[in-house]
Amino acid sequence: MAISLKPVDVAVIGLGAAGGVAVLPLARAGLKIAGIEAGGWMDARSFRPDEIHNNVRGLVTSVPKTKREVPTVRDSPSSVARRVGNHPMMNAIGGTSIHYWAQSWRLKPWDFNTRSEAQKRYGANSIPAGSTLEDWPVTYDELEPYYDRVEYEVGVSGKAGNLQGKIDPAGNIFEGPRQREYPMPPLRGTEFTERMAEAARGLGWHPFRPPAAINTQTYQGRPGCAYHGFCGAGGCHIGAKNSTAVTTIPAAVKTKNLAIFDHAQVIRIVSGADGRVTGVSYLKDGKEYFQPARVVLLGSYTYENSRLLLLSKSKAYPNGLTNNHGQVGRHYFAHWGTQGGGAVVALFPFDINVFYGLPAQGTTVDDFGDDNYDHTGLGFIGGTSMHVHTELHAIEAAAMNTFGRAPGWGAKWKAFVRENAARWVSAYLQTSTFPYETTFLDLDPETRDPLGDPVCRVTTGPRENERRSVEYAQRKMEEWFRAAGAIEVMKAPPTGPALSTHAYGGTRMGDNRETNVVDRWGFSHEAPNLGIVGASVMGTSGARNPTLTVQALAWRTAEHLVKSWKSISA
Amino acid sequence: MQPEDKEALQISRRTVIASATLVPVAALTAAAQAPKTSLSASERQTLEAFVDRLVPKDELGPGAVECGAANYIDLALADALAAEKGTFVEGLAAVDAFARKQYDTPFTQLTPEKKDAVLTEIDEGRATGFANARAFFARVRRLTLEGMFSDPYYGGNKNFAGWDLIRYPGARLAVAPEDQKMSTPPKPLHQSAYGSNFNHGH
Repeated sequence: MAISLKPVDVAVIGLGAAGGVAVLPLARAGLKIAGIEAGGWMDARSFRPDEIHNNVRGLVTSVPKTKREVPTVRDSPSSVARRVGNHPMMNAIGGTSIHYWAQSWRLKPWDFNTRSEAQKRYGANSIPAGSTLEDWPVTYDELEPYYDRVEYEVGVSGKAGNLQGKIDPAGNIFEGPRQREYPMPPLRGTEFTERMAEAARGLGWHPFRPPAAINTQTYQGRPGCAYHGFCGAGGCHIGAKNSTAVTTIPAAVKTKNLAIFDHAQVIRIVSGADGRVTGVSYLKDGKEYFQPARVVLLGSYTYENSRLLLLSKSKAYPNGLTNNHGQVGRHYFAHWGTQGGGAVVALFPFDINVFYGLPAQGTTVDDFGDDNYDHTGLGFIGGTSMHVHTELHAIEAAAMNTFGRAPGWGAKWKAFVRENAARWVSAYLQTSTFPYETTFLDLDPETRDPLGDPVCRVTTGPRENERRSVEYAQRKMEEWFRAAGAIEVMKAPPTGPALSTHAYGGTRMGDNRETNVVDRWGFSHEAPNLGIVGASVMGTSGARNPTLTVQALAWRTAEHLVKSWKSISA
Repeated sequence: MQPEDKEALQISRRTVIASATLVPVAALTAAAQAPKTSLSASERQTLEAFVDRLVPKDELGPGAVECGAANYIDLALADALAAEKGTFVEGLAAVDAFARKQYDTPFTQLTPEKKDAVLTEIDEGRATGFANARAFFARVRRLTLEGMFSDPYYGGNKNFAGWDLIRYPGARLAVAPEDQKMSTPPKPLHQSAYGSNFNHGH
């Protein structure tokens, strides 16, 4: 028998990048919140400058619950899904924001209206075949105040490229207008990243230092970045990376309105005959608890959001919670680009010293992002942001591609890596990716977790639009590397992502309840007191990292809940 | 650089200089016990002969054996990689069996040229007697890289020879702008993140 707890106003499932932000406006408004998180607090002293610990064995990114619930993947609806290693779906207070790269982008205005803008510019047939792309129910202008809010609450460093319409080439000239400058200046460049910037300018492009949720000076009492080179897949030892574990969550705890239940694994969201959710069941220390709540906010990772809804069946929702229109798990997609196999690797004839730094430290070119250039005749819509960055560890450096210049082992290999391990770099490409009819999440019919629940099954597939788009960007990237002096450039064929840390959809946001799970505010079309936060609500990816958009949407959903408390909780 | 920025950096730099160990010893109680190895003497010899050909000692400096790569692998198979020990040991036995089949001689006693011929057959998937010859070769190569270029805490990268070979300047807790220059890279820092007391097996 489950132990029933004292009711709360709001139960938030998952205190990661999304839920960890949503709790703050709720707590400030005086709502009583239960934050239910499968992981625990991570101690900053355990974040080590150790490639084996962080990157090889994944001891920061991958914790036991995550390893037991890794989704299965297949590349078409007719093939068998398989487990493919681990996935850094994080369980911890702060979630993936503890170990992410902290690149904190706003989407472009175009990303919100892609369908209508593409049809207007390139004709009705420009939408990729089989795509379920819709315009968002929210515009960039509507989300701008929330981007601004989160940039200041969490702390984002960067340089504005469009300040209320005034263009500044020191920032990204292609960004949408912002009401004010970033709260901190951007991360510093290095001799190499500045060389890349110079080469881009020589090509007539517009390079800039990109935004990051990383302090570049003391902010909210925490120090600026130490550039030590163990940021990706590791936590920050001095608290300069603005994960929700050091920003919004502690601020919410301070109000005394947020009670955190850690190491608590949510197994079901419970709903009544009237279709409203009544609370959350979870396991902690082998016991089952029921946390009654007037409102539930679901904020786990994209794969888990769909899975938990599909597992949470009831009389009102026989096919899974808020799934009476069959939309849970649909409109799934994940970023093509480097994460989808489309690597571009360059070798220089001199040391570039990218060992230290961090993945957010670098030079970005957005001239080929989104719809920033004319796509007429190219055969695809969307674009790619191209980023060249620092942070290269020793094992990774030595495991380099030999560009056909040396064998893979022996004395000649040794001489090659001795000369070249300090002379190569890999670009980071992120390509606009769209939802398709045949790309979705559901429950795996075979693979189960130790509790006996099916894991999430991911169905992906080859995408002609995205493949062309990545290949176009790879050619531009090669041009850029060569202009900076590269003597070899290797381009890997893009295959598309399997499991991804940039996974979107499954609970898409839209006005049409026949094709979307949540409304324009992030609340279920079917269960009125269920809100959903995370990239699972996003209908397009843009050509850049999702987290800031996820956080701006989470803040907006939470603020809407506060403003509409009576109608939503009644 | 902003004044505040500079101050923050110096605080963290002082922290580095003040501590001989970058990771607090309290975090290491579980790992600080005497290291255990996993391979028999003959398995270890086969492994050493294997990794010695992957990265031989020569005029450019120590090779994989001198860097402690085999030691790293032996320790890891008793610990973090215990789950793959069985497969790994089968692979080592298959190397020796294949050498005996080709040359009627144990792998360890072959000339360097014949060792390389055996390893090439394994690398290219032609060698018999393996569950998956190419995969085994790739795994030994990968673990050799880990042993050569990881923090010496794990039993490899002896005397930081691996890091010196590729001009990796060492793990630091704070890095100044001049440490990120291309033309004047920083002086190598020969320090384990775990201090000197935890160098497994050196």
